[in-house]
Amino acid sequence: MIQITDLEKFYKTEEVQTIALNKLSFGVKEGEFVAIMGPSGCGKSTLLNILGLLDDPDGGSFMFNGEEVAGYNERKRSELRKHNIGFVFQSFNLIDELTVFENVELPLIYTGVKPAERKKKVEEVLEKMQIMHRRNHFPQQLSGGQQQRVAVARAVVNNPKLILADEPTGNLDSVNGNEVMDLLIDLNEAGTTIIMVTHSEHDAKYSHRIIRMLDGQKVTENILA
Amino acid sequence: MLKNYFKIAFRNLLKNKVYSFINISGLAIGMAATMLISLWIYDELSYDSYFKEKATIAQVFQHESANNNVGTGPAIPRPLEFAMREEFGDNFKHLIMSSWNFTRYISYGDKNINVSGNYMQEGAVEMLELNIIKGDKESLKGANSILLSEETAKTLFGSEDPIGKMVKINNVNPAKVTAVYEDLSKNNSFNGLKYLMPWKFYVASEEWVKNAEDSWGNNSFQMFAQINDNTTMEAVTAKILDVKKRNAPDEAEFNPQIFLFPMKDWYLRSDWENGVQTGGRIENVWLFGIIGVFVLLLACINFINLSTARSEKRATEVGIRKSIGSQRGQLVFQFLTESFLIVLLAFVVAIGIVLLSLNGFNNLASKEILFPWSNSLFWLSTLLFIVVTAILAGSYPALYLSSFNPVAVLKGTFKAGRYASLPRKVLVVAQFTISVALIIGTLVVMNQIQFSKDRPTGYDKNGLVQIPVMSSEFIGKQDIMREQFIASGGAIHMTAMSSPTTEVWSNRGGYTWEGKPEGFQEDLAFTSVHYDFVKTLGLKLIDGRGFSREFATDSNAVILNKTAVKYMGIQDPIGKYIRGSSPNSTMIPLKIIGVIDDMVVQSPYSPVKQAMYVFEQYGNISYYNLRLNPKNSVSKNLELVESTFQTNFPNLPFDYQFVDEEYGKKFRSEERVASLARVFTALAIFISCLGLFGLASFVAEQRTKEIGVRKVLGASISQLWLLLSKDFITLVVLALVIASPLAYYVMSGWLQKFPYRTSVGWDVFLIACLGALIITLITVSFQAIKAASANPVKSLRTE
Repeated sequence: MIQITDLEKFYKTEEVQTIALNKLSFGVKEGEFVAIMGPSGCGKSTLLNILGLLDDPDGGSFMFNGEEVAGYNERKRSELRKHNIGFVFQSFNLIDELTVFENVELPLIYTGVKPAERKKKVEEVLEKMQIMHRRNHFPQQLSGGQQQRVAVARAVVNNPKLILADEPTGNLDSVNGNEVMDLLIDLNEAGTTIIMVTHSEHDAKYSHRIIRMLDGQKVTENILA
Repeated sequence: MLKNYFKIAFRNLLKNKVYSFINISGLAIGMAATMLISLWIYDELSYDSYFKEKATIAQVFQHESANNNVGTGPAIPRPLEFAMREEFGDNFKHLIMSSWNFTRYISYGDKNINVSGNYMQEGAVEMLELNIIKGDKESLKGANSILLSEETAKTLFGSEDPIGKMVKINNVNPAKVTAVYEDLSKNNSFNGLKYLMPWKFYVASEEWVKNAEDSWGNNSFQMFAQINDNTTMEAVTAKILDVKKRNAPDEAEFNPQIFLFPMKDWYLRSDWENGVQTGGRIENVWLFGIIGVFVLLLACINFINLSTARSEKRATEVGIRKSIGSQRGQLVFQFLTESFLIVLLAFVVAIGIVLLSLNGFNNLASKEILFPWSNSLFWLSTLLFIVVTAILAGSYPALYLSSFNPVAVLKGTFKAGRYASLPRKVLVVAQFTISVALIIGTLVVMNQIQFSKDRPTGYDKNGLVQIPVMSSEFIGKQDIMREQFIASGGAIHMTAMSSPTTEVWSNRGGYTWEGKPEGFQEDLAFTSVHYDFVKTLGLKLIDGRGFSREFATDSNAVILNKTAVKYMGIQDPIGKYIRGSSPNSTMIPLKIIGVIDDMVVQSPYSPVKQAMYVFEQYGNISYYNLRLNPKNSVSKNLELVESTFQTNFPNLPFDYQFVDEEYGKKFRSEERVASLARVFTALAIFISCLGLFGLASFVAEQRTKEIGVRKVLGASISQLWLLLSKDFITLVVLALVIASPLAYYVMSGWLQKFPYRTSVGWDVFLIACLGALIITLITVSFQAIKAASANPVKSLRTE
């Protein structure tokens, strides 16, 4: 599903240029659950952003579903993104001014789904995430675990082929964290490809494969399942 | 999608009440000001739009040169009519001779009123598109008929049917009411037409008019014209340009040029300078148009600044939406929708403000503007106005907000860059530049008015009253009346004049005198006056004496003003003679008996014109001038004067004017401009301060942690206040530096149009600068002190 080859990314500040990704290569097959680990600043998040088509690589190749997307413009990327990729963030990133229902509904609006069908889909996924009773609440009125469940609901409502999770349990206690991990496992078992960046060895063990990074390069790769 | 946008927008508005209030009220005030100005401009531009045939109507004007200076005006001689009809008649639908707008006594039974109107030729009813309510459209054909405006008819006849009734004009000439027409509105050049009488009537009742029939030199009449549909003003003007020169060789030395002055220019472009059309009220239209745009711009700047300042709060939303699949264009659209919503809300408030303030605005601007509820053009332009404002205010924030990189935003590493606040600073400087320039401009206008008001007029205006006496009944009565007025105790002096004290009604030439330069074409303001002229008006004699009963020869004497002596180049004028210049002149030579200091009679902004005051020996005068008795109250004096008047002229209405008030009217137009400018400047400052207040509270909020740390480290409240205020003061100082030379340049240019003018003094800048700084400090300090005095423990815990 994903094949990156010699991927490069640089960051420039006024005086220094930092290499975030240094000729990184690996592939992810459909239905896989991959965890990416490494110390802060090793380039994990940069990688995730590029994989999520939020950011553009400075060099190398990025094949998504057999298509070279490295040189795509913003418009094409966003088109690809909204139909194929769902995001789960450490800090949930829900829109404060929208209710639970409206937050989850948002991706469907952008993909142009009709209102009646939107309602059906949102309710379905809220039911699945056991957050239906909170549908008319605003994010601030929810606990962290509930907020992350809403975020996951939002990530999956469009049935994306790929979910990118950036430390999804980072802001949660262990009970809530495990619940979120169970949700991700369920999704993976239902066929969704998952790439997860994490600091937690515990969470990483849920995955099929762990890629460890340092200074923008892959150092090891452990296959767990 | 749109619903989602509106939802977010509304919830944001409700969540941030202070910002919403500042945004909406600032925009509302700005929009209300712009709407009022637009209504005013529309009213100015639609002057005379009563006339459906406006494009074809003109007044016949004349350029004449004397001493290398071209004068332009509507006064034309009677024979021009005959030449025009004969040579060019087929170019016109109507050619209409008219008198000036005269005040006449019209009496019916024991009712006697004093109204203004014109004598005009047939066709005037059609050309002026008068709406005849009752009576005969062809009334001007009759010799002794009179048409009354509805209001005049009502005043005179009450509920009686006026048609067919006989009235008396000036208590002498009978006339029959043959028609009543609808009153003309205030924004109409013929607004003063309260009666209309046949031209024939004028010619028959005034000897001098009859005698002017073949006098090309007597420019005492007006002519209006309506051209045929198949020609243009320019084409007709090209034909008639030299009609006077060809027909009147005696006048050729003045190079008279006859032309059509189109109705569309009457009101807005009526100024002429040396034969060139130089503008007029249109300049005020531009001035207020620019102010309107500026005020709106200021309000939009507030919106832009507050939206971008708060961008960090919206950044997350932008990031999320982008990661979910929103394109930049969609985000731009979302934010524009949001600004559209805010502008729409502001517009509703603005309509309320306009409705509430329209009355006061009308008083201020001396207008009768109604809110155009049913005008579709208004609503259409309103819609355009809302969209333009929304785009003006919303596009930069929309582009800025939608440009955020979702990665940085969502990672929480988003920090607005070092220069992110630069555009905001530039806009604040722009705002205050405009505000300060407006303050300076308004101060200069006010100074100029005050300066001209303080100008010595050369006569004592206070306690001076003029009584119009334009009926033949008054002829020759001035000596008796003087005795009686003084005996009544209401007045201490009286003189009589052929024109009001504050106007010149006649200008003359055709004289010669000892030492007159060869080829000199004199033009003197001409006024007939009576005994006690100097004493009554409180004039200052520089040389010689006033008219005196002790010298029988004074009936052929003249008094000059200081400027006239200089203008004519007469050395030792007393005792010299002014004679008729033509060899067969029958004029009795006038002996110069006195020279007075200049009297400001015409424009208080212009140099005093050379003037001659001759003795009116037949008592054919227009005004009695009375110096009221300083020992009595004004009301007591007026009572005494009125009863004396009524005893002598029981059939004539008593009317009077205070000369100081009449003089004050000369400042009205400038005072109106000044008071409007004051209001809009105040609004501009208010809007700018509103924005500054919002920004200050934003900065205080943003720096809460820094303030807390500094406080813990021992900073005092005043140090923190200085820290927070300093940035804003710097911006305002920068604005002062930019605005001052700009305003100086513009206002010096504006002052150039007044020959008698003040200068743009340093005090104006001092007041404007100090004012702006003090207002800024007050605005900013509120937030600064609030932030500085907050408990640091609290502020440090906010992170």
